[in-house]
Amino acid sequence: MVEVRLEKVTKKFGRVIAVNKVDLVFEDGKFTVLLGPSGSGKSTLLYLVAGIYRPTSGKIFFDDKDVTNLPPRERNVGLVFQNYALYPHMTVYDNIAFPLRLRKEPPEKIDSKVHEVAKLLRIEELLDRFPSQLSGGQQQRVALARALVKEPSVLLLDEPLSNLDALLRLTIRAELKKLQQKLGITAIHVTHDQAEAMSMADKIAVIDQGTLQQVGTPEEVYLKPRNLFVATFIGNPPANTLTGSVQTVDGTVFVEVGSARYQLTEEVSKIVREAGVEKLVVAFRPEHAKIVESPLVDPEGDLVLEGDVYVVEPLGRENIVTLIVAGMPIKVVTPPDVKPHSSSKVYIVVPRNRVMLFDVETGLNIEFLIREIHQKIPD
Amino acid sequence: MRVRLNPAFLFLIPALTLILVFYVVPLILSVYIGFTPLQRWNLNRMGSITAYNFERLFYMMFHDPDFGKVIRTTIVFTAFTLAINVLGGLGLGLALYLMDEVLSLPYRILWLLPRMTPVAVYSLLWYYFFLGGEEGTLNSILLRLGVINEPLSWGTDPRLLPETAWVILILVNGFVGVSFGMIVFYSAFHSIPREQVVAARVDGATTSQIVRHVLIPQVRWHIVYVTVWQLLSLLTTFAHIFLLVEWGAVHRWWGSTWALYVFNVAFKTYEQGLAAAAATVLVIIGAILGLVALRILKFKEMMVEPKGEI
Amino acid sequence: MQDSRSRASVKSLLKREIGKIRGRLKPPAYRGVWDVETIDRRRLNLLLALVLGLAGLPVFMLYVLLVMSSFANTMLSGPDIFSARYSIENWRMLFEGRLSPAAGQQYTTRDIIMIIVNTLVVALGVTAVVLVVSVMAGYAISRMRFRGRTRLMELMILLHAFPGVALIIAVYAIYVWTLGFIPTENTFAYKSYMMVYTVFARAALEIPMSIWLMKGFFDKIPWEVEWSALVDGASRFKVWREIIIPLVKPGISALAIFAFLAGWEDLIYVHVFLYPEIKTLATFIEEVVGSIETTYLPVVAAAGTLYLLPTILFFVLTQQLLLQALSGGVKA
Ligand SMILES: Nc1ncnc2c1ncn2[C@@H]1O[C@H](COP(=O)(O)OP(=O)(O)OP(=O)(O)O)[C@@H](O)[C@H]1O
Ligand SMILES: [Mg+2]
Repeated sequence: MVEVRLEKVTKKFGRVIAVNKVDLVFEDGKFTVLLGPSGSGKSTLLYLVAGIYRPTSGKIFFDDKDVTNLPPRERNVGLVFQNYALYPHMTVYDNIAFPLRLRKEPPEKIDSKVHEVAKLLRIEELLDRFPSQLSGGQQQRVALARALVKEPSVLLLDEPLSNLDALLRLTIRAELKKLQQKLGITAIHVTHDQAEAMSMADKIAVIDQGTLQQVGTPEEVYLKPRNLFVATFIGNPPANTLTGSVQTVDGTVFVEVGSARYQLTEEVSKIVREAGVEKLVVAFRPEHAKIVESPLVDPEGDLVLEGDVYVVEPLGRENIVTLIVAGMPIKVVTPPDVKPHSSSKVYIVVPRNRVMLFDVETGLNIEFLIREIHQKIPD
Repeated sequence: MRVRLNPAFLFLIPALTLILVFYVVPLILSVYIGFTPLQRWNLNRMGSITAYNFERLFYMMFHDPDFGKVIRTTIVFTAFTLAINVLGGLGLGLALYLMDEVLSLPYRILWLLPRMTPVAVYSLLWYYFFLGGEEGTLNSILLRLGVINEPLSWGTDPRLLPETAWVILILVNGFVGVSFGMIVFYSAFHSIPREQVVAARVDGATTSQIVRHVLIPQVRWHIVYVTVWQLLSLLTTFAHIFLLVEWGAVHRWWGSTWALYVFNVAFKTYEQGLAAAAATVLVIIGAILGLVALRILKFKEMMVEPKGEI
Repeated sequence: MQDSRSRASVKSLLKREIGKIRGRLKPPAYRGVWDVETIDRRRLNLLLALVLGLAGLPVFMLYVLLVMSSFANTMLSGPDIFSARYSIENWRMLFEGRLSPAAGQQYTTRDIIMIIVNTLVVALGVTAVVLVVSVMAGYAISRMRFRGRTRLMELMILLHAFPGVALIIAVYAIYVWTLGFIPTENTFAYKSYMMVYTVFARAALEIPMSIWLMKGFFDKIPWEVEWSALVDGASRFKVWREIIIPLVKPGISALAIFAFLAGWEDLIYVHVFLYPEIKTLATFIEEVVGSIETTYLPVVAAAGTLYLLPTILFFVLTQQLLLQALSGGVKA
């Protein structure tokens, strides 16, 4: 198995910059998910690793070997396409055996390897069929088998689950993850489905418009999004955001959102004052907020917002309440028994440690800003 | 009671009329003429029925040396031109597919040129190329190179016949016919999802392995289709040969195929009965090959049912 | 009142729909490289280009020699292109009807012009007949329900496969028979009938494939367009004229070019039905080359070039469209 390292990799198609100066390490034996909206450059990035595209600039390493200009054949990668790209004129057996035949391995060895991988993926009884006689899920397994049979050092998956129905996707998601752990293979999985990413990944790399937004464990990406894009792309429903203006009263710094005031910590205040920031985005996840009937006097200095209930969507396990706060819609996930009346006035409480603050201009999380400043000027 | 006419019929009237007048009636008529002693377009002779034409045709096959030449020419010409058209078309389509698209464009135009050129001009090009005198392109080049020391009449010189006449026919028709396969195969290759090619590359296939294992097997049906269709058109069309014989560029008999023979008997020697009888043989072959082509086209799948009643 | 409002709304709706569908019918933009970029394709490209180029070069040279000879004082055959003298003398002679420097006037200028006009008439006539017939039939077969629809299409394919030689004998017999009814002394009526019959007979040859092509183009139009227009109260004829036809315009132009070229290049039919009373460029060249004694090839080269020119022009300008249409007939 190998570690895959990208250094300042850029890929342009004419004037379109599909991948922009990406520095990224795919750790050895880990399951990394590339997450981003459609057209963000995920597939391009994956194809760069596979050697299908050649970077416009930058380098790609497998461990310490520079593979930037090597053809796919010399990289030993397994690739599963979104549409599986099975050969329609070959049986499942021949499809899986194809990579081995190209390597001119002896027939007995090919046979045993094909059966081994077919057993692993539980498609042994399908070996005589043609791809057109398979269901989507079965085709997906065959494609996976074809990628795995050559024992690749990296497994690359381009939205392999997107053509499956919702239920099957959930099952295969879990199976795929287990399989990867069992084989201990370095895997890179592309998806635009954030739930899929959260559930499968050891590490998530969020990408938007060809630029890497954040790399981290699912928890990190979820709880400490590096910027507004990540905060609002991940989570369902995504994080709520409200823009507030920075005010200083008697030396304490607040953000004012609608009628509410939220006091900033010493550290944040300092940054805000030094940088002359006038506006901040206050954000929190819907499941981190609570709805209360009356405004408590809150000693902890939590974020308390006043809002009008707009609509309640009961989902069984929980309710999603949409409220209007300072003219903006805000969603809160509540236990199923909390069902405030429409247009009633309620209060939203978000614990202090769950409130996220972002710089309006750069979209950066203030915490990351502080960290970066500390790194730049170590005192 | 008013008969309600399906409006579709209105749209079809012109087409049906043309088909009736220029296909259905002539087809029946043509077979019928085969059984009449029609000569010099004397339509009065169409009254009597006779099997004489077929008997004569059968007799000629074995006893008329000139007709024997026509039959041998037809077989050789069809076999070789067919091979060139199918294999050459496959090679061309493949090569154009494998090339970068920008690069392939001028080649596609170049190779389609003979097909688009008016028959008379195309024949003129080759007539002049194989012209017997010193000014014929081939002669003048070979003379200059010292390969020959006197100009040769390539298509008619008894010392060279019949092979040279055949080569001329095959060459002239091959350059036209090859573009049909080229177009069919080129677009067939393009309809294979490109991911398959890329996937094969990732699995380590070389270009020739991709061609053998991924591309060619997927156009098997197209190969059969092109073969049948070309066989059909080689047996029945003669336009590109017609002027070469007429202008004396190739030998009258060693340069004639069955179809051209039919045409010349009908319009030069004016024995329409015999010509129609000979044509009937082509009609039967055409019907069989046409039916085969229909099956291959997977015709039914291409007929989408109309969705609404409009 | 109500009526005019609904008409306006139909118009605007149609415009929007047509715009949308135009976008959908357009082939997807070419997306850069399709092969693996890390593999060096230059050698492959070079090799293929060389092989195809060398194989096609002889034919290409023939064309070049023909066109150049039409301006030369001798028929060119290769290296002599450098020693020949070039002028427009051949073209002048062609239009004067003098077919060799030695011979006198065998044709008048009017003859030559008429030959070109006749060729054009045949080509345009074939185009018109093919267009009208196959657009109507293609629409019916693609869009309307009637009994024997599939059978009819099968018949078309079979007809297309039928040997033209077999047909032409009987078609000519019918021609001879019908000509008997035309008064010979009225030359205009006689010649007109010859022309019309030839045009229809030649067009009929193109009909099966053209209907097949047109049907393919109609198949591509989504049904929703027709429905939404009908729902908004447009009549069927109106739908046909204002929506369907504009949408299949690319198909119609492709077909028109095909039909024109077919009529323009035809030799056998004009030879059989029109020659020698009415001559076209094809039979003119046939006749001139055939009469060995008087042949002066550079002038024939000029005639050939003249005959070739529109074809090449059409072809190069529209080859993308043609390729698309040609390959559209055979998707299995
Ligand atoms: N071969 C190509 N030629 C030109 N532009 C391309 C090519 N491939 C991708 N692009 C462009 O690069 C950008 C990134 O494309 P890419 O396919 O990597 O997106 P993606 O994140 O995989 O999206 P999706 O989720 O829709 O698959 C897009 O703007 C796309 O249009
Ligand atoms: Mg993608």
